[in-house]
Amino acid sequence: MKRFIIYSLTSLAAVLMLASCEKFLEDNPTDRLPEDEAYNTQNDLWNNALGSIYLNIGGNAPSQGLQGTARGVWDLNTFSTDEAMIPTRGADWYDGGIWQNLFLHRFGNVDFTGDTWNYLFKEVLACNRALERIDAYAHSHPGEDLNEMRAEASALRAMFLFYAMDLYGRVPLFMSSTPTVEEMKLQNRSVAFRHIVDELQAAEGYLPVVHSSQLGAYYGRMTRDVVDFLLAKVLLNAEVYADDDWTDDQRPDASAMKWTVDDEILNTWEAVERYCVIIGSCGYALADEFKDNFDISNEESPELIFTIPMDIYNCTNRFTQQFRSLHYNHAAALGLNGENGPCATIEAMKAFGYEKGVDADARLFWTYFYDQVFNDRTGATVTLDDGSPLIYYPLAVKLDLSNDPYEKTAGARMYKYEVDQAAMSDGQLRRNDIVLFRYADVLLMQCEAMLRDGRAGVAADALLNQVRARVMMPARTATLDNVLEERMLELAWEGWRRNDLIRFGLFTRPYTDRPQTDADRHGYTLVFPIPGETLTACGSAQNPGY
Amino acid sequence: MKTCLYLRCVTVVGLLWTALPMLSQALVPPDSTARLLSPTVVTAEVVSQHQVTNPLEAINGRVAGVTIQKSNNGAAAMNAVRVRGTTSVTGGNDPLIIVDGVFGDLNTLSSIYPSDIESFTVLKDASETAQYGSRGASGVIEVVTKKGAAHRATVTYNGSLGVSHVSKNLKMLNAAGYREAVRAQGGMLIDKGYNTDWQKAIQQTAFLQDHHVAFMGGGDRSGYRVSLGYMDHDGVILHDKLRNLTSNMNMHQRMFDDLLTIEVGMFGNVQKDMTAVYDVQKTFYSAQAWNPTFGTERNSTGGWDGFTYANQINHPLALMDSRTQDKTTHLSTHAKLTFDLTPNWKLSFFGAFSHNEVEIAQFLPTSIWSGGKGYRSSAKTESWLGNAILTWDKMLGLNHINVMGLAEVERNVHTGFYTTTTGFSNNAIGIDAIQAGSVTLWEGTGSYRNAPSLASFMSRVNYDYDNRYSLTVAARADGSSKFASGNKWGFFPSVSAAWNIGHEAFMSDVQWLDDLKWSIGYGLAGNQGAVDSYMAQNVLTPAGIPLVGEKLAVTLDALLNANPDLKWEVKRSFNTGVSAAFLGNRIIASLDFYTSKTTDMLYLYNVGVPPFSYNKLLDNLGSMRNSGVELALGLSPLTTRDMELNINANVAYQYNKLLSLSGYYNDFWLEAPGEVDLVNLNGAGFHGGNNHIVYQMVGQPLGVFYLPHCTGLKSDGRGGYVYQIADLDNSGDINIANGKDRQVCGQAMPKVLLGSNINFRFKQWDVTVQINGAFGHKIYNGTALTYMNMNSLPGYNVLADAPAQAINDQTATDYWLERGDYVDFDYLTLGWNVPLGKTLASTISRLRLALTIDELGTITGYSGLTPIINSSSVNGTLGVDDKNIYPVTRSYYLGVTVTF
Repeated sequence: MKRFIIYSLTSLAAVLMLASCEKFLEDNPTDRLPEDEAYNTQNDLWNNALGSIYLNIGGNAPSQGLQGTARGVWDLNTFSTDEAMIPTRGADWYDGGIWQNLFLHRFGNVDFTGDTWNYLFKEVLACNRALERIDAYAHSHPGEDLNEMRAEASALRAMFLFYAMDLYGRVPLFMSSTPTVEEMKLQNRSVAFRHIVDELQAAEGYLPVVHSSQLGAYYGRMTRDVVDFLLAKVLLNAEVYADDDWTDDQRPDASAMKWTVDDEILNTWEAVERYCVIIGSCGYALADEFKDNFDISNEESPELIFTIPMDIYNCTNRFTQQFRSLHYNHAAALGLNGENGPCATIEAMKAFGYEKGVDADARLFWTYFYDQVFNDRTGATVTLDDGSPLIYYPLAVKLDLSNDPYEKTAGARMYKYEVDQAAMSDGQLRRNDIVLFRYADVLLMQCEAMLRDGRAGVAADALLNQVRARVMMPARTATLDNVLEERMLELAWEGWRRNDLIRFGLFTRPYTDRPQTDADRHGYTLVFPIPGETLTACGSAQNPGY
Repeated sequence: MKTCLYLRCVTVVGLLWTALPMLSQALVPPDSTARLLSPTVVTAEVVSQHQVTNPLEAINGRVAGVTIQKSNNGAAAMNAVRVRGTTSVTGGNDPLIIVDGVFGDLNTLSSIYPSDIESFTVLKDASETAQYGSRGASGVIEVVTKKGAAHRATVTYNGSLGVSHVSKNLKMLNAAGYREAVRAQGGMLIDKGYNTDWQKAIQQTAFLQDHHVAFMGGGDRSGYRVSLGYMDHDGVILHDKLRNLTSNMNMHQRMFDDLLTIEVGMFGNVQKDMTAVYDVQKTFYSAQAWNPTFGTERNSTGGWDGFTYANQINHPLALMDSRTQDKTTHLSTHAKLTFDLTPNWKLSFFGAFSHNEVEIAQFLPTSIWSGGKGYRSSAKTESWLGNAILTWDKMLGLNHINVMGLAEVERNVHTGFYTTTTGFSNNAIGIDAIQAGSVTLWEGTGSYRNAPSLASFMSRVNYDYDNRYSLTVAARADGSSKFASGNKWGFFPSVSAAWNIGHEAFMSDVQWLDDLKWSIGYGLAGNQGAVDSYMAQNVLTPAGIPLVGEKLAVTLDALLNANPDLKWEVKRSFNTGVSAAFLGNRIIASLDFYTSKTTDMLYLYNVGVPPFSYNKLLDNLGSMRNSGVELALGLSPLTTRDMELNINANVAYQYNKLLSLSGYYNDFWLEAPGEVDLVNLNGAGFHGGNNHIVYQMVGQPLGVFYLPHCTGLKSDGRGGYVYQIADLDNSGDINIANGKDRQVCGQAMPKVLLGSNINFRFKQWDVTVQINGAFGHKIYNGTALTYMNMNSLPGYNVLADAPAQAINDQTATDYWLERGDYVDFDYLTLGWNVPLGKTLASTISRLRLALTIDELGTITGYSGLTPIINSSSVNGTLGVDDKNIYPVTRSYYLGVTVTF
């Protein structure tokens, strides 16, 4: 009897357990979706393949997103220039020296250059993955038209590659979401440049002509107008991008490069001009007032071409730029939470004519907070903790303000975007869409292209002065110097300054608080270093100098 | 009573000196054939000697090679426990806790009332832990709770009352000193006219009480024990409060002519932990650095005055308005059926179910959190465990053979949800009505479920000859659902042998030597602690709402690199040891050596983007070596009827080296950089940049200090000083980035750990002192670096010593790297077993009063608050004192135990 019990129980247990073991160890997720079930309809395909790319054009973590977050693309393009800096303010904003290093072009010691690369290529890989999903879907649904979706993904990929090429010079060009070592080899900048132009031109024809910045089915999306803006921007920098050795002070001649636009062969400057004209013909116009582009309902502005849509309730993106800049008490008075960091440089203040008082550029007021500031709702003076009024001293700014009487108050602060009183999350969640591309830039690009093509004159002047007239500033003759200054006045805080200065050959010049370093003289600081993990994986060499 | 059917490697030798006189009472069976392998046991007698309220305190310093790191986490102290050091870089370093056969974790252990514990058994060697497979890779602590005894029904009450107070704070500038320093600097002085010691302002004297009643009884064939315990502990920080209600029940019964033994047990507890410390560093940073001229009264609007220059900290009393409540509900039940089928065959079935729920409620008022924050969450774990064990045990002359086979399955179902609101217009209600906040952010709400499973088969053969030679061979296969098909199963064999030299005939003449044993073992163990469910699968999770187009739809995205090649991390360990008893067991000593190599070590690599979509990848590439020597010594120089002295000491030396963190994943070479930062400083001016302190470096122990070298202070030209940094790489300029002017200058984990316990009894009186120590490691005093920087005025207060030194710098160098050696007088207990007169003795069988003082003092050269900080867990606080240390407390308890 006992023996029977032993054997039966044991064998029963053993058989049951063995038989069910493999099944028992299967792990089937219920709170997430297996990848092969996520792309079964066009709707799912769009949501999960393209939606996640759009989701990440903005960001909520450091180095994520093209704009809005800290320590990413925007910081690299802004605080490395004569437009703005983050001075050390005693114990605040020293942060191991990264902000000083960024301003002084010691880029090897700016840790987020790698994180920014990782962000941009994460997006490139996401675009490749989206294209693979679209192909797989097309294979199983032969009748459906997926050309627009394909064009959207490849234009987005070209956009991220443009930012990567602009920041790092050499980039890998691969079409797979799981590239091999061979496919990942870094390509010369000139190769990447032509690749980006080709991709944008190929995608352009499949995309609709729609204002992406305005509410509707294409709100926030890649449309033909956005692609045309990118083409104009990329081609305008042709002499920089076609140059594979940025340390030799020599650049190829862009007038000799030929491009086919609308079946016409044009030189580079003509091509830039053509794309600007195309955009102009699609209903874009300068907003009546400069500030309309940055207010809470800026999606109504006819000037905006491409934005990162924002919202308080559903949005995972953040807008930290202004929150970081404002003095603690100033932000608190506006219902936000300030960090008292970034401010304008002396060069920016000079360009805006701060010292000229009432004769300063009209945009000074809309771009910066300076001197005494007020609560824009109540009109009350913003005060410091000791009751004295808060006064920003734009000209007292210097790179290290520690132990300075103006330690906490030096420097003009970022305004530009209307303060949303309903903002959440320390003022980082707000309704103003973040402006990436806008029409004023198109006019200035067109003007610059004409000048570079040797066509100074009334037509070029008209483009420059169209931008100036909107803010009631007197007309000027269009010269390259005037265009560069106008770009500072019009586009300050919009993340273009580094790109502009490099194109004008002025990025490495010395200016207040920034002596020219050996590195600058050598020229290698025109691009940032590529992260070591990528170099290890693809076996390529680092950019020269780093 | 035989509680174990399979071979349990338990015997009451080794370190069990204090319990030696109680040997006969120990329930732990001393009759195992494998007794030569001697894991370390701590019995109820030891537990009850010291009036402990957390079971882990009972074994702190008692067992060589076991490190218990008090987490300093206020009333609800969660401890980090390491058995023979850290053997995995990424996770799974906590030892397995088994309470009456039911698997749990450190939380489970902390919630048990110490008086319910019969014994702790610590298993360290691979052959000892083989029975628990992968879960026991980092050591096993077996807890057996008390069971009913035959015939005599008893009731025992155990209770204590105590107070706890802060015994040491940092000396910051008082209001007068602060005013003077700010004026001297010409900074903006915000002077509210008070003189407040903010550290004291958020502290209180804490009252502690514990009550526990246990009933037990039984007959020849059955027994029961039921207990109820209640704990009510205030913390030394305002509003800190811990309450714990526990109940434990155990029953056993034999049936059918002893063919079947049924054991049933149930354990439940409800623990509530309330605190105003929602962020440890923010709380203590604020209390230490807040402007001392501010007052402790609310302002006219009912809020707290702000000081905007101190933007990294808050008014300390505003922080005290926050509330975080954790409520843990735990219920576990188990049943075991044992069939004594024949004298040789035994079969047992064991099943256990446990349900654990942690509810968190939090409210952060608008004064400290923009818009306020209301948060609620619930995290549940339901665990199922079942096993069947068949053993065959036979004596053939002097040969004793024991064969065991085991099959086991386990599944843990984790579910939970959370929701966050913000946009509170006032702070009147919040924690219980989070809908008072107007905004629910998309990322603030979520839920999850995962259900990892484990299946195991094991067989073990034990052979023993004449109690002199024994050999154990075990083979175990573990399967985990977390790995992809093909990688699920791991095979982990082990072998061990022992020679009881003391039982040899040639030893019988050696009078002074009572016993001598030698043991040796080698084994493999798997670890998957760092792997989460679905990491090996390509799955998509909700990632957010892209605000494009017209419809709002959530997009699904991968969010991490899946790695289908993930597999078991394997630890191969070798151990050998001798133990001996001399002079009539008055001296007992044991010496153990172990070395282990962890291979296929799970490590979260920084990888290139491309080829990977995300810059982190968990993969099995690295390896690490752990070695150590453990010496335990027990002396009983005095043993008379009236007087008894027992001295126990254990010393553990541990050495750890990271061998490799590189290899190929598919075709891609993965390599951790030469220096990977583990711990960074936090606070004003410490965001990013070269503020990394503790690193992980191949070829070095896990957690080394890698810092610029400061040669002294130099004038900054403005009447103050900055740190003079050496040009270590002789490059001509100073660059403190990784790989430049930095050097390895010490390790964060102690090389030598000491535990010692002295117990003296004179008649009915006894005194016990526990002394622990750690040596050979360093501590980075980031607190001093921060508070010695005069630049941080006026926003942040500085140490009283700071103005004299006039340092205007907070560059992290080795200037503030200090030796961490300490000797800590952990507790002292004075006990009195009250002599009972004849009348009393008829009803009361035992009455004991005890006075305990916790944290008598620490001898150390370390200049910060305390050297007892995290020096064992690889996380963001390892080896660094950075404004996040709970104040040092001392507690006094008066306890009474009475048995009827």
